[in-house]
Amino acid sequence: MDESPRVGMRSPLGRVTGLGSAKDGTGHWWAQRLSALALVPLASWLLISILTLPNLGYAAVHDWLSRPLEGFLAALCTGTLTYHSYLGTTVVVEDYVHGRAAKLLSLIGLKFMHVLVGGAGIFAILRLTMGTLVS
Amino acid sequence: MAEFSLPANSKVRKDGRVFKAPDGATHVRVFKIYRFDPDSAENPRLDTYEIDMDQCGPMVLDALIKIKNEIDPTLTFRRSCREGICGSCAMNIDGRNGLACISACADIKGEVRIYPLPHMPVIKDLVADLTDFYAQYASIKPWLQTRTPAPPDSERLQSKSEQEKLDRPSACILCACCSTSCPSYWWNSDRYLGPAALLAAYRWIVDSRDEATGERLDQLEDPFRLYRCHTIMNCTEACPKDLNPARAIGELKQMMAHRRY
Repeated sequence: MDESPRVGMRSPLGRVTGLGSAKDGTGHWWAQRLSALALVPLASWLLISILTLPNLGYAAVHDWLSRPLEGFLAALCTGTLTYHSYLGTTVVVEDYVHGRAAKLLSLIGLKFMHVLVGGAGIFAILRLTMGTLVS
Repeated sequence: MAEFSLPANSKVRKDGRVFKAPDGATHVRVFKIYRFDPDSAENPRLDTYEIDMDQCGPMVLDALIKIKNEIDPTLTFRRSCREGICGSCAMNIDGRNGLACISACADIKGEVRIYPLPHMPVIKDLVADLTDFYAQYASIKPWLQTRTPAPPDSERLQSKSEQEKLDRPSACILCACCSTSCPSYWWNSDRYLGPAALLAAYRWIVDSRDEATGERLDQLEDPFRLYRCHTIMNCTEACPKDLNPARAIGELKQMMAHRRY
């Protein structure tokens, strides 16, 4: 709320009920938990894979991600991680950013940033995987 | 943005008045108490009261009453039952929300620091403005809603296990210790209902006699009203009646998921 909720002569109950229930929130709550659950195996796989790479040079990573299963899992992990991050950071903005304009801009910025980062990550991985398949 | 420091006119001055213990006092405890007078243009301050505990009851409320009666009648606080059932004397004692009447001075080490309930508008001294807190309670319609008429010759019946479900939640005394200990409530108390109101909503949702369960859940299903709870669990930690608002909120979220999937 931009203006102090106590300004004006609205009754306390009217102030508290405000614009009413958005009849929403459960989908977000469920998606956050589900994506966290999916990340348990996916992120573990990613971490173990990176740690067991012979080295972090371009050739080793290229070799790793150009295998179909590995490429698929890495793309899946990137997507899930970005989605989970989007859900979580949205909550942070809703919690702490209170000005209407600042909140709207932050939420739009977050969404664009996550689509951009997730999209770029998945595209990069697919390019490695598919590029190898085509050539 | 959320405010992480107090506004300039709410900053607490440490150079408050000091009331020394009487000569010959042997068992002196120091009480530092938040003072704010809305009629003066001054910032809040911390006043220091030295109290001879040999001449004072054991509870924090006893000390406050002694201060008001014998040392400084300007000190303002709410109190009524002095046995933990009215919820009036909820305040922040030694950094924790609790009821002054059932908090023993002996359980606190060193100076006893007493502030009003956190992050609420202060009316005077230890009296917080609970207007919106009560309005939030009213907003969940804390009364039985039915369509089936009551039996003409008896009350609406419940089994023992049905009654037990609301036995604990209905022991809430609305002292506001839980809601005002919750950071989510601090940042968004205009839209998040807070643990006390949600526990009350839960109490009616699990009531086997109530027939408005769906409507009640509809009203709660909101990114702010219910889902600002991030399971911090300060509420359960703070409750002076040993209730568990965090668990009730968790069960509400489960019901939300259950009716959807």
